[in-house]
Amino acid sequence: MRLAGAELVERREVLPGTFLTAWHAPPVVTGARAGQYVHVRAVDPGGLPRRIPFPIATADAATGVLTLLTSGTGWAGTVRVGDRADIAGPLGRPFEVDPRSRHLLLVAEGGAIVAVRFLVDEAVRDARSVVLLFGAATASSVYPTSLLPDEVEYVVATADGSLGHRGSVADLVREYEAWADQAFAAGPPSLLATLATQAAGRRQRLGVATLGRKRGGGRPPAAGSTEARRKAFLQVAVGQSIGCAAATCLGCAVEGADGVALRACREGPVFAADELAWPEP
Amino acid sequence: MKPRRKAVPGMRSRRTPTVRRIRPAITPVPPTSRPATRPAGAAAPPASGQAGPRGPEPALDVLGGRPVRLAVDLGRGLVLTNPVIAASGGCGFGVEVAELVDLPRLGAIVTRGVAVKPAGGQPAPRTADVPAGLLIGVGPQHPGLQQVVDRYAGTWARWPVPVIVNLGGASAGDLAEGARMLDDVAGVAAVEVNLSSGGGARVFGLDAASTSSAIAAVRRATDLPVIAKLTAAAGDLRAVAKAAEEAGADAISAINTLPGLAVSADRGGAALGSTYGGICGPALKPVALRVVYEVVQAVDIPVIGIGGVATVDDVLDFLALGAVAVGVGVAALADPMLPVRLADALADACRERGLEDVAALVGTALPARPGPASTRGAEYAR
Ligand SMILES: Cc1cc2nc3c(=O)[nH]c(=O)nc-3n(C[C@H](O)[C@H](O)[C@H](O)COP(=O)(O)O)c2cc1C
Ligand code: FES
Repeated sequence: MRLAGAELVERREVLPGTFLTAWHAPPVVTGARAGQYVHVRAVDPGGLPRRIPFPIATADAATGVLTLLTSGTGWAGTVRVGDRADIAGPLGRPFEVDPRSRHLLLVAEGGAIVAVRFLVDEAVRDARSVVLLFGAATASSVYPTSLLPDEVEYVVATADGSLGHRGSVADLVREYEAWADQAFAAGPPSLLATLATQAAGRRQRLGVATLGRKRGGGRPPAAGSTEARRKAFLQVAVGQSIGCAAATCLGCAVEGADGVALRACREGPVFAADELAWPEP
Repeated sequence: MKPRRKAVPGMRSRRTPTVRRIRPAITPVPPTSRPATRPAGAAAPPASGQAGPRGPEPALDVLGGRPVRLAVDLGRGLVLTNPVIAASGGCGFGVEVAELVDLPRLGAIVTRGVAVKPAGGQPAPRTADVPAGLLIGVGPQHPGLQQVVDRYAGTWARWPVPVIVNLGGASAGDLAEGARMLDDVAGVAAVEVNLSSGGGARVFGLDAASTSSAIAAVRRATDLPVIAKLTAAAGDLRAVAKAAEEAGADAISAINTLPGLAVSADRGGAALGSTYGGICGPALKPVALRVVYEVVQAVDIPVIGIGGVATVDDVLDFLALGAVAVGVGVAALADPMLPVRLADALADACRERGLEDVAALVGTALPARPGPASTRGAEYAR
């Protein structure tokens, strides 16, 4: 984790009420990976010092600029180009892509798309093919294609049918699950639970062997390890509220598959789906 | 009326029977021996191994040319180098923030709550934003006291800052067992009894009798300094504080979070998995000030003010009402160095006022005669 006195270099509204903010923060950009977040110092009008977590939407090592999606309210509504902020990061554990995966399926709903956005860049850089399935309430809240690289296949679902498939983004997954080597998702807990359940039944449906199980024997990697995550078909970024980001407050707990609480700020925010306990979707 | 000076930092409290060697804190550093490179406002570095049986001499902070005495005596040999403490929950077990914080410059660290039996905490979500504060429903979450001691006490013993263990329990027996486990553990400077804990409907701190049995049980089980942490949810805090004092508490900390509730975004239920949560942050400060004001006038032992401290003005407010030290809780989460900066700012505040000892700031807002008790939540009753 590094601290940077970052400067806001660009701020524009990309969706109603959602702003893309670009910060010049070379120390934080260095080594940042998809799935990680930053913790931005903001001052609550009530006098409580706060930091707000934001997933890193993009990070460009060449320019030292990272982008975040922010709302137009509260602290984020007051910042203007040229303003400075104290940004801590990169924090948390990133998405782990198996080096052998060629086809990546990304699934996101609403504002949570920002949590998988950076993974698109990483995948394109590594010459993998990417399908991004995105769900929104209505056409006007669909993440703009102009913010995505051309290489990505972008498929949209809207709840009201005003653009693309009518219904949930989860409906689109079946079509791609045979194609995908790995899937990465971000969205509300109900979507993640649905995807986790689908992923758990995938092998039986498809009758495929799991990556990395060439030889039958050998001890499987410990749950939560980088190795185990790399081998997982589905990884999810949870949207748990982050308070301290230092693993002290325990405010960010998510229930692990064995019932023990995991900290989204430290063990996450990315988890392999089978590390977590999922309610019936 | 009780002489006010009894709750003044640097003065030994009435109750100092045991001669106990607490880990070396800071000894006075002659101004001439001070390196010129230390940043403005920094406290003296710790000099180890020189603490006498009656505790170390107070620290001198001579930057700015004028020495300021910040040391605070919490009784039973527990002397802090300055009055700003990291309150329970603000810095985990300390090890999590050890890299981020200049530990020797903290008055003390209070650990997250622990109890003899391990606990898993409350279901998510565990925090909700509220105006000027945070609602937290974390609940007790720890691997059990023995594990905590095994894992961390060795590290604490090497730190030049007193570590106070925040102890909870379902019964007075639980508390006593916990206190016994902590007694004589190198690295543990004191026990803070979380009177907001308890079994079932019986939270210790809600009434004088339960408080008395809880504190007495801990007192019998350990020679460590015992701090009783009050909850403002009690009806008559003067009686509760008095009971804690009479049962053998060396100091009082006030207050813990106050029960509250927030509604989920979709209004389908409570925002927190635990339904109720504890309010902390500036929203809590007026309640904490009220409690400190009442308690300071009711007891002779030192009082630590906790609740909404985020600026040096907050620190000065608590001191003015008679607290000898303050705890910083939720504000330290976003800013782990805040308590250290507050201690520096407090020294500056003394200098600006031409004061040589922070004790001069303590109790200035107390009435000449004991004020009436608050009217137990019915502020319009006469
Ligand atoms: C995340 C968090 C965890 C806490 N855990 C404990 C605890 O385990 N035991 C305890 O006595 N107080 C606990 N507290 C209460 C604080 O020590 C303090 O009394 C309260 O938050 C009010 O102070 P503040 O407004 O500065 O936060 C906790 C507070 C926070 C924010
Ligand atoms: S955000 Fe505080 S423990 Fe994770």
